[in-house]
Amino acid sequence: MKKQSLSVLSFIIAMSFFILTTSVNAAPGFDDKEIRIAAWGPQTGPAAPWGSVARGPAVLASLINEEGGIHGRKLKHFVRDDMYNPAQTKVVVKELVEKQGIFAFVCGTGSAGGLAVKDYLAENKVIWVGPATSIKEYVFPVNPYLFSIYPLYEDEGSILAKYAVENLNIKEIGVIYQNDPYGKNGLDGVRQRLDKLGIKAVAEIPVESTEKDLSSHILKLKNSGAKAVLMWVNPTSGVILLKTAATIGYKPQWIASNTLSDFALMHKISGGLWEGVITGAFMLSPDSTDARIVRYRNAIKKYAPEERPGVFFMAGMMFTEPLIDALKRAGKKLTTEAALKALNSTKNFQGIGPRVNWTAAQHQGTDSVQIWRCGPGGSTILVQDWTVNELAIWKKK
Amino acid sequence: MDMKRGYYEDIQLFESNVVLFWSISFLIFIFTLPLYVPDYHFYLLNLVLVHIILAVGLNILVGYTGQISLGHAGFFAIGAYGTALLMLKMQLPFFLALPLAGFIAAFFGFILGLPALRLEGPYLSIATLGFGLTIMQIIGHWDFFGGRTGIQVPPLDIGFGFILKTDVSKYYLILIITILLVIAARNIMKTRVGRAFVAIRDSDIAAEVIGVNLTAYKTLSFAVSAFYAGIAGGLFGFVLGYFNPEPFNLILSIIFLVMVVVGGLGSILGGILGASLITILQFSLLKNIKEMPYIGDFLVAVSNRWFTVVGLENFGSIVLGLIMIGIVIFEPLGMYGVWLRIKKYWRTWPF
Repeated sequence: MKKQSLSVLSFIIAMSFFILTTSVNAAPGFDDKEIRIAAWGPQTGPAAPWGSVARGPAVLASLINEEGGIHGRKLKHFVRDDMYNPAQTKVVVKELVEKQGIFAFVCGTGSAGGLAVKDYLAENKVIWVGPATSIKEYVFPVNPYLFSIYPLYEDEGSILAKYAVENLNIKEIGVIYQNDPYGKNGLDGVRQRLDKLGIKAVAEIPVESTEKDLSSHILKLKNSGAKAVLMWVNPTSGVILLKTAATIGYKPQWIASNTLSDFALMHKISGGLWEGVITGAFMLSPDSTDARIVRYRNAIKKYAPEERPGVFFMAGMMFTEPLIDALKRAGKKLTTEAALKALNSTKNFQGIGPRVNWTAAQHQGTDSVQIWRCGPGGSTILVQDWTVNELAIWKKK
Repeated sequence: MDMKRGYYEDIQLFESNVVLFWSISFLIFIFTLPLYVPDYHFYLLNLVLVHIILAVGLNILVGYTGQISLGHAGFFAIGAYGTALLMLKMQLPFFLALPLAGFIAAFFGFILGLPALRLEGPYLSIATLGFGLTIMQIIGHWDFFGGRTGIQVPPLDIGFGFILKTDVSKYYLILIITILLVIAARNIMKTRVGRAFVAIRDSDIAAEVIGVNLTAYKTLSFAVSAFYAGIAGGLFGFVLGYFNPEPFNLILSIIFLVMVVVGGLGSILGGILGASLITILQFSLLKNIKEMPYIGDFLVAVSNRWFTVVGLENFGSIVLGLIMIGIVIFEPLGMYGVWLRIKKYWRTWPF
C-alpha cells in the first residue's frame, strides 16, 4: 500500500517539477540595452516557402545595430515557426509576449493565425507593424495597435485591370480567383474597375487552392475568348494554369497578383513559362539598382549569406522599415505610447515599399502597387512605377 | 496483481482508499494549479485538456472496440463549428450548444459507423479518411461556415453573468468537463456496453455468437467516440478564439491516432498520457531553440553547417518523431505500459 502511494507521490512531484521549472515572469518589450521585435511564420511544413519573410527583419536589425542601434538600444529579432496553424501561432505569440517580452511584432504570415492573435496583442498593448498579408479585418475598423502596409488586393485588382484595358488595349478580360478572401477581394477590385470602364469580364472562375487539375477552367477561359487573364491564385495553381494552357496552345496575357511576383522562383518552377507574365508588386524589385536595395542586398550577403535575396525575404525588411523610422522619431524616452504616437504621425514615409501614411483614424498605410513583367531568366522589368488606385473605396469614407 | 474477487469490486471507481486519497490529492493539485504555474502556460494546458477529451474518446473506438478512424479531425471540426455557429446564429447558451454540437458529431459518427459494419482494417480507414476530408471541403466551400476565412467565436458566456475571458478561467471550465467525461468513459467501459465493445475488438464473430448485437454496438462505439470529439472540438474553438477549416486536416487525424497509440491502446490512462505528451511536444518542444542556453548555439552551428536555412526549426519535428518511434518500439503498450512497470517496481520494492 505504502509503495503505491509513493509511486503516485513521485508522479505528482515529477509533474509539478516539470511545470515549475519552465515558469518565468512576463517581461516588458525593451530595456536600456535592447528593443525586442519578433515575427511568426511557417518555417516547416507545406507553407514554409512563405516563411522567409519572417527572417528578413533579422538582417535589417543587424544593419541598424551596426550603426549603433536606435538611440543606443540594439534591436533583437525573434523568429518563431507556427507551421501555418493558428493554434500554433497563439502558442508561439504567447510565449514571446509573456516570456521573452516583445515590444512590437513585424510581418506575421497567414490570415487565420493573425486573426487568432490580433485581439490578444491589442489587449497586451503589443504593437504589430506590417502584417505580411492583406486582411480587411486587420485595419477596418481601426485597431490602435495594428499598422498595415500591404496594399489591399482590391486596390491591386483595380490597378491591374486598368493597366490591362488602358495600356495593353485588351477588352476581353477573364478572371480566375481562389475561392477565399484573397481571391474574392482581387475579383472585387477588377469588377469595380471594369464597371467604371463600362466593360464586363468575359469569365469569372473560382478555383480551390487544393485543386490540381485545372484543365476545365482553362477550356472555359479559352472558350470565353479572354485575351488577358487576371489571376488571384497560389503559386502552385498559377504554374499549373500556365502549363495547362500551354498544352492546348492558349496564350492570353497572364496578369497575376503580387503574391506571385517572386519571378526567380516562378520562372524556375514553371520551366520558363512565367516569362512575360505581368504582376503587381508591393516593393522595389530585389534586383533593382536603387541605393536602398543595393544596401540591403549587401547586408544580406554579409549577415545571412545562406539566404536567397528574393522578394519575400526582402519584404520582411520592407515591413519593418516604418517601425524603425517611428522608433527613431519616438526619441530616447521610449514607451509604447510614444511609439504609437510616432507611428500614427507617419507621413509619406518611403522605404523600399510603397509610400506609407498612417493617422490615428487610418491604419491602412497605402493603396499603391508597382507593375512588373517577368523578363528572360526570371529577371524583373518594371513596366509601371507606383500607381495609386484612385477608386479606392476605403479612402472615401 | 490487480486481482478482483467480485463484480462490485470491479466496477468501483476507486480501487482502494489509497487510490481515493491520491486521486483527491491530484485533483486538488490540478485545481490549484494557477497558484504555482504562470498564466502563460494555461493556453497550452487548455489544448492538452481538449486533446485528452478527444484521445479518451478515440481510445473507446480504437483501443476498446478495435475499429480505426482517420476521420476524427472531421468530428472535431463539427464540434468546433457546431458549437460556435449554434451560439452565433441561434443565440443558444453555451451549455446547450456544446452538448448539441456533440450530438451532431455523434449523429455523423453513427452514420460513419454503418459502413464500419462491413469494412475492416485498411478499407475502414479509407472510408473514415474520406469522411474527414469531405467535412473539411464542405465547410471550406460554404459561406455559412465562414468559408476558408474561418470564424470568430462568440464570447464564452456560461450564463449567470459569467463571461470567461482569460485562459485560466477557461482552464477551470475545460478541466471540469474533462474530468466528467473521463469518469464517464471509465464507467462506460465497466458496463454491458463497454464489455460488448471489448468483445467485438477481441473477435467480432465470437461476440455475435454470444449475443452482442454488432450493428448496434459498432455504430454506438463510433457515435460515443464522435461525441467526445465533438465536445473536444467545441471547447477547442473557444481556446483558440478564431479558426478556419485548414487545421482540421488529415495530419490532425493522424496526430490523434498517434496520441492514442503512444499513450496506450485500450486504457483510459493511456489516452490521457498520450494526449498530454504529444500536445506538449508538438506545441512547445524546441520552439525557442535559438535562445536555449548552451545547446542553442550548438544546434545553430549544426544547422548552419549541414541543414538548409530553415533546418533549425526541423529539430522539433525530428525529436518528436524519435520519441514516438522509441515509445512504439520499446514499449508496445505505450506510456500506459511504462506506468504499469513503474507501479510494479514500487509494489515489489526493494526486492
